[in-house]
Amino acid sequence: MSGVAKGLPGTWADTHRGTAQPEQPGMMDARDRVTGKVDYVINMTLPGMLHAMVLRSTAPAARIVRIDTEKARQVPGVVTVLTGRDIVSRTDVRSHFGPVFRDQPVLAVDRVRFVGEAVVAVAAVDRDAARAALDLVEVEYEELPPVFTFDEALAEDAALVHPEPPRAGATFADIIVHSQAGSNVCNTFKLRKGDIEEGFAQSDYVFEDTFTCPAVQHVPLETHCSVADARANDIVIHTTSQIPFMVRSQLAEVFNLPASRVRVVVHTLGGGFGGKCYPNTEPLTAMLSRFSGRPVKLHLSREEEFTAITRHAMRITLKTGLRADGKVIARKSTCHFNTGAYADIGPRLIKMGGIGTGGPTSIPHVWIDSAAVYTNLPPAGAYRGYGISQAAWAYETQIEMIAQRLGWDPYELRKKNLLVNGETNATGEVMDDAHWHELLDQVAAKIGWSWPQVPQRNGSKVRAKGLSCIIKGTVTPSASTSMVKMNEDGSLHVMTSSVEMGQGLQTSMAILAAERLAMSVANVIVSTPDTAFTPYDQQTSSSRSTHSMGMAVTRACGGIADQLLNLASEALEIAVDDLELSDGKVRAKGAPDKGIGYDVLVKNQKGGNLLATGEYITGGGLDPETGQGIAAVHWHQAAGAAEVEVDLETGKVNVLAYEAAVYAGRVVNPVQAELQAEGNVAFGLGHALFEEMVYDNGQLQNGNLGDYMIASFEDMPEHIGVNCLEEPVLNEIHGIGETGLPPVMPAIGNAVFHATGVRITDAPITAEKVLRGLRALEAARAAGASSAGPGTAR
Amino acid sequence: MTDMRNQGDVTATGDGRLAIPAMLNGRQTTLVARPWHTLLETLRDQEGLYGVREGCGVGMCGACTVMLDGEPVSSCLVLAPQVAGREIRTVEGLAAPDGTLSDLQQAFIDHTAFQCSYCTSGFLITAERLAEEHPDASRDEIRHYLAGNLCRCGSYVKILDAVADLLERRRAGRTAG
Ligand code: FES
Ligand code: FES
Repeated sequence: MSGVAKGLPGTWADTHRGTAQPEQPGMMDARDRVTGKVDYVINMTLPGMLHAMVLRSTAPAARIVRIDTEKARQVPGVVTVLTGRDIVSRTDVRSHFGPVFRDQPVLAVDRVRFVGEAVVAVAAVDRDAARAALDLVEVEYEELPPVFTFDEALAEDAALVHPEPPRAGATFADIIVHSQAGSNVCNTFKLRKGDIEEGFAQSDYVFEDTFTCPAVQHVPLETHCSVADARANDIVIHTTSQIPFMVRSQLAEVFNLPASRVRVVVHTLGGGFGGKCYPNTEPLTAMLSRFSGRPVKLHLSREEEFTAITRHAMRITLKTGLRADGKVIARKSTCHFNTGAYADIGPRLIKMGGIGTGGPTSIPHVWIDSAAVYTNLPPAGAYRGYGISQAAWAYETQIEMIAQRLGWDPYELRKKNLLVNGETNATGEVMDDAHWHELLDQVAAKIGWSWPQVPQRNGSKVRAKGLSCIIKGTVTPSASTSMVKMNEDGSLHVMTSSVEMGQGLQTSMAILAAERLAMSVANVIVSTPDTAFTPYDQQTSSSRSTHSMGMAVTRACGGIADQLLNLASEALEIAVDDLELSDGKVRAKGAPDKGIGYDVLVKNQKGGNLLATGEYITGGGLDPETGQGIAAVHWHQAAGAAEVEVDLETGKVNVLAYEAAVYAGRVVNPVQAELQAEGNVAFGLGHALFEEMVYDNGQLQNGNLGDYMIASFEDMPEHIGVNCLEEPVLNEIHGIGETGLPPVMPAIGNAVFHATGVRITDAPITAEKVLRGLRALEAARAAGASSAGPGTAR
Repeated sequence: MTDMRNQGDVTATGDGRLAIPAMLNGRQTTLVARPWHTLLETLRDQEGLYGVREGCGVGMCGACTVMLDGEPVSSCLVLAPQVAGREIRTVEGLAAPDGTLSDLQQAFIDHTAFQCSYCTSGFLITAERLAEEHPDASRDEIRHYLAGNLCRCGSYVKILDAVADLLERRRAGRTAG
């Protein structure tokens, strides 16, 4: 990218090219997908394989007084009944794991910390035997005082979820651990830019508001599943993971093995959404295999999946100062993320989520405190949007509340504040490829935004529109590597450890490889990860893979291209500079009939195949005291606009239309870009209107798909507009897998406000809350009360 | 459709399991299962029909949908013995024996009506019945009919396009024929 002037205006990609074409397939293995042939891990069986089932804690916080497994062991077909104490008593394995803190036991040891925690595991010849054995296990608990909410967990005399401070292990370059021993604070992040007090002193208006989002679940239709074979010293595990190399390093640590002796194989996933990032079922499955001496399969039920990993519930307080002309000049944000009983990746997520509250705005004075808090709830980890959905819900709602209090057009207020090239974001990075204005303008125009929003009434229903605009980083520093192999018939193997989870990763990589080597996509095969054979990739999340792995694959293909050119140059006796790749052949420039096929060149070369590798590594990092530095190699940018209809009698919200705009830089696969954008609308709509994990004394009340709603066909807007912005000069791919998600919730919330006057700050926007809000408005009107908001204008 | 109701006698295998005669994807077969096993687990574990998948286990997601005597049902809610003498069709039975895809499968490919495709089998089965029952369904009617199948990836728009296109193609075929 060096040497190119950044920041040119973009052009809107034509993603509506109709149906998939043979040369531009929507999905390489489409045929397998419509014939039921995709080989998800759940399909896997091995000779002699046992089936595992898990007894889970019924108490949110308790001491384990006694576990009696005797009767369970007698059940015919049962091979192993395992407890946490059994693991601790062995010296050749470790009992705890976790990506940042080694705080999570493979099976609970003496203490349980949430309802749903694994306490006893059974491996048996079939599920019937395993189930029968579980019924016979007796566990006696002595309940301890639990903490669930931020207030409970952060109270002076709060009971500690982890009385002994958890051990931090070798971790990520970008995670700074600032835990507070003797409290439930798991980790904190801070950012200091400018002088916050000076910023507020210079402000003409200051508003402070608090926003919350509940925990939600990923609900991939395929639940977690692992098949492990740890009979020998080495471990082979097939698993549903978005980060195979993280599973490898954690298993290597738990089993005291070099990484080379742990082989992690990942199949196509039935959805991930961040829920399959960090080790989950893997340590337990491998442990059962080690203890039983048999291969073992563990496949979570939907109910188990609900408490396996969740999205952080969050509370964000924003204090925002503006000048009289509408320019935001100061923001102080206090963010709490409920990370549940175990840290998982919470210590990193609070960083991205915290930084995110700066918004797509150039604010000279920013102060951010972000904390992950331990509670006696299921662990929370990575989730599509990675903290930004929650952050955007806060700042994109607050900017509208401010506009309303001051009587301003919320679109204009945003336009005054959106980042442009040359300005700095919260981490002090100078923007050089900013497109927020274009994105917001596009959705505003497409939805038909006008100000003031006059709700259209039709019987008991009212309609109106709402906007939002967001910024999101991508994990930095990061590394992707790939290896490509050209075969004797000119076909190409691309080996990567990026995970296909429905986002079309394999297809995008094939398209990029085929493009670099001027060959047909149909002749390219892209691997799934197998850590024994495919090269390192940091993670398939954070909307990074098309960009990062795309670069690595393109570079590796460049190595093959060079070899082909050199071989052809020798064979044709033409200088390399006078040759070009075209249509599966190396041809003489200007004399295209003078050419030689890749197959011939590979055969002539006699090595059997051509090999090349490519890598893409980014650097960055933040100052631990100020949070200033490089947080993201580039910034994901998106805007959204929703039109909703609210039934004033029931409070029910219907989303009629949604316009999504994302900065894609370059769209690799138009059909997939649309699918991802539409999928984000389905996802975000659920978060906005109904998704919420409901607990009673730590016990999940809606852990099944009957009670926990996800968006169905009936919830979908009739119209979804997908607008992908490209920038043909830079032509740099920006991930869009999750970029379009964070705008959805606030866009819908803002539209509901414009339709009804009801402002919901605690997601989701349920019918009940809307109805309550409508009644409160009526009562206020009747009482003749002023509609002044809670902000303090000075 | 073959009527086999009188050949539908369930017999005990002697090891606590049941032998359950049924027609499966056009072939007479005997399913073996314990009385409490669901059709879903029996099709997967005994018959290796992995296109039938569990998403919720309680009849809410549609990922396990199969055709039972021509009607889509959630196979997680059907006990294996209940299918004795009946006809089951799964996603594996949609293509012609020579592998030619059905027009519905082709429409799903043409529109890339999937992301992770875990839900796809269920949608195909439900949509197949929709196309037979309501060949003139409007887009709204299609949405309504398919509302019992969930897609977490949110491929709904493309699924709708695929099904609407299929109905269109079939209508065109009928008038041409
Ligand atoms: S698994 Fe049968 S409906 Fe969900
Ligand atoms: S395509 Fe993934 S659930 Fe439908």
